Amino acid sequence: MTAPTAAPPTIAARTVDATKVYGKGDTEVRALDGVTVEFPAHVFTAIMGPSGSGKSTLMQCVAGLDTLTAGQVFVGDADLSRLSEKQLTQLRRDKIGFVFQAFNLVPTLTAAENITLPMDLAGRKPDQAWLDQVVATVGLTDRLHHRPSELSGGQQQRVAVARALASRPEIIFGDEPTGNLDSRSGAEVLSFLREAVKDMGQTVVMVTHDPVAASYADQVLFLADGRIVDRIEAPTADAVLDRIKQFGR
Amino acid sequence: MLHVTWKGLLAHKLRLATTAIAIFLGVAFMAGTLVLTATIGSTFDGLFADINAGTDVVVRSSDVVESEFGEQRGTVPESALPTVEAVPGVRVAEGGVSGYAQFVGRDGKTVGNPNMGAPTLGFAWSDDQDLNPLRLASGSAPQGPDEVVMDKATADKEKFAVGDEVTVLTPTGSHQFKVAGIARFGNVDSPLGATLAVFELPTAQEVLGLPGRFSDIVVAAEPGVSQDELAQRISEVLPSGLEAITGEDLTSEQQSTTRDQLGFFNTFLLTFALIALFVGSFIIYNTFSIIVAQRTREMALLRAVGASRRQVLTSVMVEALVTAIIASVLGVLAGFGLAVGLRALFAAVGLDIPADGLTIEADAIVAPILVGVVITMASALFPARRASRIPPVAAMRDVAHDEVGHSVVRSIAGVLVLALGLGLVALGLWGDTDNGVAMVGLGAAVTFLGIGVIGPLIARPLARLIGWPPAHLRGITGHLARENAMRNPKRTSATAAALVIGVGLVGFIATTAASATDSIRGTVDKSFAGDFVVQSTAGLMGGLPPEVANDISALPEVAAVAQQRNGVAEIDGSGRFLSAISADTFEQLADLDVVAGSFTDLDEVGTIAVYDNTADDKGWSVGDTISVTYPDTGAQQLRIVALYGRQEVLGTYVTGLPTFDANNTVQQDALLYVKLAPGVSPEAGRAAISTVTDPFPNADLQDKDEFADSIVGQIQQLVAFIYILLLLAVIIAVIGIVNTLALSIFERTRELGLLRAVGMTRNQLRSAVRWESVIIAVLGTLLGLVVGLIFGWALVTSLGDEGFTTFVVPVGTMVFVVILAIIAGVLAAVMPARRATRLNVLEAISAE
Repeated sequence: MTAPTAAPPTIAARTVDATKVYGKGDTEVRALDGVTVEFPAHVFTAIMGPSGSGKSTLMQCVAGLDTLTAGQVFVGDADLSRLSEKQLTQLRRDKIGFVFQAFNLVPTLTAAENITLPMDLAGRKPDQAWLDQVVATVGLTDRLHHRPSELSGGQQQRVAVARALASRPEIIFGDEPTGNLDSRSGAEVLSFLREAVKDMGQTVVMVTHDPVAASYADQVLFLADGRIVDRIEAPTADAVLDRIKQFGR
Repeated sequence: MLHVTWKGLLAHKLRLATTAIAIFLGVAFMAGTLVLTATIGSTFDGLFADINAGTDVVVRSSDVVESEFGEQRGTVPESALPTVEAVPGVRVAEGGVSGYAQFVGRDGKTVGNPNMGAPTLGFAWSDDQDLNPLRLASGSAPQGPDEVVMDKATADKEKFAVGDEVTVLTPTGSHQFKVAGIARFGNVDSPLGATLAVFELPTAQEVLGLPGRFSDIVVAAEPGVSQDELAQRISEVLPSGLEAITGEDLTSEQQSTTRDQLGFFNTFLLTFALIALFVGSFIIYNTFSIIVAQRTREMALLRAVGASRRQVLTSVMVEALVTAIIASVLGVLAGFGLAVGLRALFAAVGLDIPADGLTIEADAIVAPILVGVVITMASALFPARRASRIPPVAAMRDVAHDEVGHSVVRSIAGVLVLALGLGLVALGLWGDTDNGVAMVGLGAAVTFLGIGVIGPLIARPLARLIGWPPAHLRGITGHLARENAMRNPKRTSATAAALVIGVGLVGFIATTAASATDSIRGTVDKSFAGDFVVQSTAGLMGGLPPEVANDISALPEVAAVAQQRNGVAEIDGSGRFLSAISADTFEQLADLDVVAGSFTDLDEVGTIAVYDNTADDKGWSVGDTISVTYPDTGAQQLRIVALYGRQEVLGTYVTGLPTFDANNTVQQDALLYVKLAPGVSPEAGRAAISTVTDPFPNADLQDKDEFADSIVGQIQQLVAFIYILLLLAVIIAVIGIVNTLALSIFERTRELGLLRAVGMTRNQLRSAVRWESVIIAVLGTLLGLVVGLIFGWALVTSLGDEGFTTFVVPVGTMVFVVILAIIAGVLAAVMPARRATRLNVLEAISAE
């Protein structure tokens, strides 16, 4: 296994006073209300919160998919608010990995082609040894030449995880990556994400509403009404569940 | 349910817009054609009515030969005039003479071009106000052998005034006249752009080559005598060979002749309108198929909540109907404007079409709308039926796109339809049928349908092949483009099939034209042994006075001159082109491959030579006598003295000049073949011949290559014209590509969002769409060229007897067409690619 880098920038991504406002006047919704948060490198972070809490918005803004109304986002040293559309695209391609809830794969490409897609888009040759290791880890070696339609939902998500890992991004974002999977497949995918952090030195930020999924993380951030309201280190499913129950009150 | 349809229409108005354009263009072309021909028709109707307005009866020869070169009528002897004048009820009767007469402008060039545009006419002045449709604008009526009256349009254009000298070319030579007067026709300067040279009657007879004869006798009745009554009285006293008809009958006869000619023109243009609509039907079918596939869930939901199959079917058909009506009505309106544009198009290729205003008949509105609606409905029927068969349970499933069309049924059906189409084409070309052209047309349409049926089976492998270069040279974008072009073979093939039609016809025309060009050059090379030709520019029947040939042959630089005169005659029951040659010199200058007898014998009056194959068919041989009916002299018995094996030069029948002169009143040469004396350089020869031809601006001196070029040039002009008309079909097909891409991109919203999220730049996305478009365009183009090549080969081979000696593959043209296809593909991708890049990534990936 590759060792974590020796002198790490300890923060993989962070936000300063991140604010995102939708609509105007009476219909104004503050999806993010001055969020300042850091995502440490080599850490598996889960973001939780009730519907409308802003957890997806936070992830999308940090991942360069959406822009803030006010405040700043940094991925590594890069200030996203200063990047052009093209630079943002290149940042997503080179520095960020994605695992979405569904429709993660391009249906016309094989599993292998999907995995190397970001590098192909960049015109870069993948690191073959690393690629083999990633593919072996997620257990796809004999499925590489299948199209997504020939893979099960769990296999498709594993391809997505492999793609996110393949280019060795600075940070991987997951948006409910196990939301569409049965519990066994879900557990597999979460294990891979945890391995990626523990054994491969990756950084993962995952939005989820599933306490069990959150329990795979090193830390859980809780969002409500666009603000960070709590944080749990080394969470267990029960601890997370207890915390969530408080939102109901 | 109608409410649902209405909502559907509104929701998909953008997608339906491109469908509407496909219908719109075809309908507009059709309406434009109908309006244009109706306008020309009514203009001519008015013209003939005006010309004959004061004429009550016309006496003319009853000897007439109808051929594909028009109607050729005999002349009337002067002696008939007193007979007609003596008939009670005749107020005045006058001999009329008309023929070829062309002014020479101040620049030394001929005025007007009777080959391509309005006629250049010479005729006799009448002092009778009823019989003369012309009115003097200035000057006086022509008197004596040196005066001419000119139409005002020519006078204005060429800056002639009363008292000026002007040269006029006629069958008897080049003549100098003084402009005695300038006349208008009714209230226009010239009837439909014709040029008019009007002489005193004896002068007209003299210079037009009709001494002692009239073209006809025009009669005005005394007040109170009806046309019918007078015609009847005159008929009773006329010698045999002459007939009398009323002015009204003459007008309607002339009008119906024009209508017949217009009918051909109309059919020609309508064919292209129908081709455009046929292409459009592929687009309509494809669009509705895609829309139905994309709305599977919606349809299933309707079914689940209780809509019947019939209701679903109806809702799609009503959607098609509304689209069709809107597009067709707009198309008809645009067609009226297009009629003006078509006229300009014809004018651009030198065919000046006379027309006043616009004549819009009910037909021009109803027919195109009907055709547009029917074609749309028929094209939407299959997709609508597919929609009605969506099971309610599909509402719970993911959107199911049309599956790969890979079935034994499709293969068999496709091959059968293709075979039927090609069979019909073969039958039309080689079979013994009266309706060869219609059969070939139908066969071609069925063949294109067959390609549409079999397309989904071949689209995937072909797209893979064509996509190889981008996939391997353009990295991931090229790879994605190729995969996208392959992912929906039905869609790709229907889109490409629309292009196959237009490009197929272009390929067919290109192949035929290339083969014809090559054959003509070969023929000129093989059959013409001379150095120069002198060609008349005054039309097929010629316009060179015989003195030109005599003067050239008198030149010391010239060894021999052969003359060719053209005419028509009725042979074995049908009107034929019958040319005549100076037999003694012709054999030195041209090789017609005489297989029996000798051309030298054509020097005798009453002889004829026949194309060997024709003689074989009719069972004739040398020594037989056949009956030939001339317009001027009636039935003649001609003895066959030679059979020849090459018909490309002179056609299937040829006589010597003595026989021609004995049977034709007007004697003018159409073509002279010149051989230089030994040792005379081409330059010296040309200079010498020019001294004779220069005073005759209608005589075009050409060497062998220029002669071949002049024939080839005519073909190329026609081909260019057909290309322009086919452009519409190609444009509609390209719109089809735009449509398919736009619909596909709409469908791939989520996938494109994903690609953008993981780092595809806008440029890369645009490039992927562009390459997909190019692959589809090239696919359709290559298939089209193959089909065109097959059709072209079939036509050329079947016409081997008629002068197509070689089959040529126009490689250059084909490469050019493929390059154009790539450009068209790039252009077609612009709008869909822009849409794809404007896509909001966030909305795309969260789109439900």
